[in-house]
Amino acid sequence: MKRDPDQYMPIATLTRIMRRVLPDHAKVADDAKETIQECVSEFISFITTEANERCHREYRRTVTPNDVVAAMEGLGFGNYVEPLTVFINKHRAQQDCYPPRPAMHQPPPRLPAVDGYVPSPPAVDGANYLEMQQMRDYFMGTYRGGGRGGGGDQFDPFN
Amino acid sequence: MRQPGAYSNLLSGGKMGPHSLPLARIKKIMKKSGEDVKMISGEAPIVFSKACELFIEELTKRAWAMTLQRKTRTMHKEDVAAAVMETDIFDFLVGLVSHTPNPSATLES
Repeated sequence: MKRDPDQYMPIATLTRIMRRVLPDHAKVADDAKETIQECVSEFISFITTEANERCHREYRRTVTPNDVVAAMEGLGFGNYVEPLTVFINKHRAQQDCYPPRPAMHQPPPRLPAVDGYVPSPPAVDGANYLEMQQMRDYFMGTYRGGGRGGGGDQFDPFN
Repeated sequence: MRQPGAYSNLLSGGKMGPHSLPLARIKKIMKKSGEDVKMISGEAPIVFSKACELFIEELTKRAWAMTLQRKTRTMHKEDVAAAVMETDIFDFLVGLVSHTPNPSATLES
């Protein structure tokens, strides 16, 4: 039966993580790697189902990191909570350090009308722009890694 | 127009680089876990990427202990299955590891 690779974590990444905790001389058969691949996907589903139920019980619609961590704790993975909390905080601190685009914060200069057209200022809140963009990318499915030329100062509200 | 998003690795200074688990795939698996899993916060897959690393490390260590019990140096599927059987919190995996029984496996039932 053909395995759909999209349902599993990549074997190379999996193997690299395994190697961190194995002695150098250890060998790992392919069937062991594949089994662990399946277990990881099952782990994600298992925790997500519980996290989603927590969400619904509290009349919320979006599964948050808190839901995920609380679900893990409830399902016996309490020893993951501390390293995960440290990880989340570090990640958020990095996000906060990312400098906002200057164009987002400065009020746009008042431009003379050209052919009767006066551009309006961008209708985004600069401080939240990053978060909005992340969410936008997330829900629009445009979050492919790196290859879409992100990083240039491409937003020009006057064009 | 596009700013780097949470998944493009440009924002986090390489910390979520190519060596981390792919967030898009994690999100896909999360959505597949239930019909009513509709909205997932952008950070949830990021949490899972770290949680899965912890999970892989734990399962690997336990499976390797089984390999050592067999006095060999190659980890096989049976070692992973044995680790699952003897760890309470891995009960949700029992059906997964035992669905293709191997006649030559030396698992305890």
